[in-house]
Amino acid sequence: MSRPRAGLDVGPTNTDAVLVDAAGHVLTAAKVSSVPGDPVASVTAALDALGAPDVAQVAIGLRGAASAIARRSGLCRVAVLRIGGPATRAVRPLFGWPADLLAAVHAGTAIVDGGGGLDPEDRSPLDRDAVARFAGQVAERAEAVAVTGVFAPLDGDQEREAAEIVRAELGPLPVSLSADLGTLGLLERENTTVLDAALSRHARDTVARLSTALPGAAVFVTRGDGTLMSLEHLARHPGLSLGSGPASALRGAGLLTGLTHAVVADVGASRIRVGALADGFPEEAAHGAEIGGVPVAFRMPDLIQVPIGAAPGSPGSPAPAELAELAEAVDRLQPAADRLPLVVVGGGAAAVPDGLSGVGDVRHPPHGRVAGAIGAIGSPVGGQAERIVRLDDRSRDAGALDEILEEARASAVRAGADPRAIEIVETHRAPLAYLPGSFVRVRVRAAGPPAPLAPPPPKGLRNDR
Amino acid sequence: MREIGIEQLDDIARGAGILGTGGGGDPYIGKLLAREAIRRHGPVTVADIDEVPADATVVPVSAMGAPTVLLEKLPSGAEELTALRALEAVLGRPATHIVPIEIGGVNSMIPIAAAAESGLPLVDGDAMGRAFPEAQMVLPTLIGVSTTPMALADDKGNTLVVDAVSNLWSERIARSACVEMGCQVSCADTVLRGDQLRDGLVPATLTLAEDLGRAVRLARHEHADPVAAARDLLGGTRLLTGKVIDVERRTSGGFARGQASLEGLGADAGRTLRLNFQNEHLLATRDGEVVATTPDLICVLDTETGEPVTTENMRYGLRVTVIAAPCDPRWTTPAGLALAGPRYFGYDCDHVPLTLA
Repeated sequence: MSRPRAGLDVGPTNTDAVLVDAAGHVLTAAKVSSVPGDPVASVTAALDALGAPDVAQVAIGLRGAASAIARRSGLCRVAVLRIGGPATRAVRPLFGWPADLLAAVHAGTAIVDGGGGLDPEDRSPLDRDAVARFAGQVAERAEAVAVTGVFAPLDGDQEREAAEIVRAELGPLPVSLSADLGTLGLLERENTTVLDAALSRHARDTVARLSTALPGAAVFVTRGDGTLMSLEHLARHPGLSLGSGPASALRGAGLLTGLTHAVVADVGASRIRVGALADGFPEEAAHGAEIGGVPVAFRMPDLIQVPIGAAPGSPGSPAPAELAELAEAVDRLQPAADRLPLVVVGGGAAAVPDGLSGVGDVRHPPHGRVAGAIGAIGSPVGGQAERIVRLDDRSRDAGALDEILEEARASAVRAGADPRAIEIVETHRAPLAYLPGSFVRVRVRAAGPPAPLAPPPPKGLRNDR
Repeated sequence: MREIGIEQLDDIARGAGILGTGGGGDPYIGKLLAREAIRRHGPVTVADIDEVPADATVVPVSAMGAPTVLLEKLPSGAEELTALRALEAVLGRPATHIVPIEIGGVNSMIPIAAAAESGLPLVDGDAMGRAFPEAQMVLPTLIGVSTTPMALADDKGNTLVVDAVSNLWSERIARSACVEMGCQVSCADTVLRGDQLRDGLVPATLTLAEDLGRAVRLARHEHADPVAAARDLLGGTRLLTGKVIDVERRTSGGFARGQASLEGLGADAGRTLRLNFQNEHLLATRDGEVVATTPDLICVLDTETGEPVTTENMRYGLRVTVIAAPCDPRWTTPAGLALAGPRYFGYDCDHVPLTLA
């Protein structure tokens, strides 16, 4: 008999948990009150409530990263290094950040020469001395370093080279690299990298405590794109967990109904989050995503929030006007003329009636109250890669595509996927505007089941890759 | 003479986005560049066309290439001046004024940054009155002004001055060079004398962009209809209010072509509109009938906020209102239509004059 697996969703109020068998069928579900400020205690309490001391695998949705940024608490002071000179100097790093977040995070910035181009041959040499000088300047203040190189999502070598120099100067402090975190668009990706670095201590503490609390289980956590990653990967890339709560709920709604395309309403105590599933994964915010008042490039679900329970006389349940607002949000997220079913999940799901005006097909799946926990344990480990390919050279295109697929697979393995069973789940191509048709941006996503054995826990030391 | 300071940039960028007719590159990054340039060098002096001396040397400064690259490899802030100086060296005389080549999109903002950095006054006007994708698609072409000498500068400091036999050749050569120079360059080209501005520019379009951006902002603030505010300022007509129900993109013959289908909502329920776009929105077909074509302006705005929607951001489910507004009348002459009419962009139809309600 194989050991069961557990999925958990640690929310601000409650922690949901499910125990599933090897085939993914729900054996038990439980809901316990979350221990405020202590996600690990919430996890162990929920596992106890399941009556499952011996699980082979645990997948956990943690939401602490977002609140750490929102409260500006527990954040590391970050040295911000941009590799992009002599270009990019026209807009400085951390431009437009809210003053209180800047004060909590900022430990110095520098723009050093280097960075890539659309064509690999366009690369400018990295000014290694300038990197070392900057490391020396911030040595007293920085608790983490964020490195953002121009075109690093296409070629991350210089970011890794800079990280080595920084570590040689400053010792083993956390270094976040933009290539691991976001897509093209320098300022948003730089912001993303700084927030990732700022979350280093928060993530490291959580990971260390979870590893201790759950010996013998392969532990994974959810990320904002709806996939999973290992604890080791979380320790290296703390920011990837941002947006994971809503993403897990969306994934769970899909798994519970067997739908790969649907609109999902996650009903909480004070708000409904509405998102959409496409090919089983959350539709992501195309642009305009913000965290803590800062534009970012994290892969997170595109959501519309509908506040509820504010109307007098119906505390905690949606008033007619709020339901009308929900119906409009659902309609906005319908991807096309063919109306997709609305799947209603979350603790307050029962308050949304089947006959929601203007929405034809409303589903309330069993176990919908714990959709987040089901989304956690039912999701694969993910990875992605991005390149820009010049199409006028056919042979180069074919070779390049193979490389991108391989890089996406490798990215999933680094996140903790079983290397024997990785699949390419999406290949997206888009031509670049205002160029003569020959440049195509290719983004590939790969996913595979969690590797069965727990990866070794990090020892407070982060390596890149 | 008046000034553009940091506080005007939001409105100008919003208006320029609307005038970009879905293309021209998101003015957002240009706004950051202009903001930083003004912060360092102070506000920009703006001159009306009438205020420019007849013998002035007026130089359009712009960015050419892929907005995707501009958003990744931000400029150093020196590229525009490098291009300008390279052009001046060939001209043998200094520029006296900067002017936008196109008011639509990011190229409304680049000249503001260039004017701040160079200390030169900025002329209130542009050579298109909207956004177009190619260098020869400017009113100066219609009056026999050459786009060359055309100076290009990249982020590394490389410069190239193109001298071409026609404005179409300048586009072909510059576009290829732009790719080799990293797919994003700064340009100084299409030099106008002061006494050519009346025929070579659409007047007062910086003011129009600012008025448009302000009108949309204020309408939103007062809970009025921001789309109607934009339409009224442009003297345009509303084609449809509805929802995007399908978007299709493909690359064919070296062009990225797309089309979006919209279905009407509210008063427009039951109607459909198809938009054909390349870099900009170029053709609008309502209930099977072509109702607006390039070079007239086809602007897609978020119905609720009045914010412009770019062709790259067209996606399922968006609630938008499509408005069409007349272009500068010089574009609808036979010569103008040959440069930028629907057939130039590969559509098998003629320009349809707008029916203004």
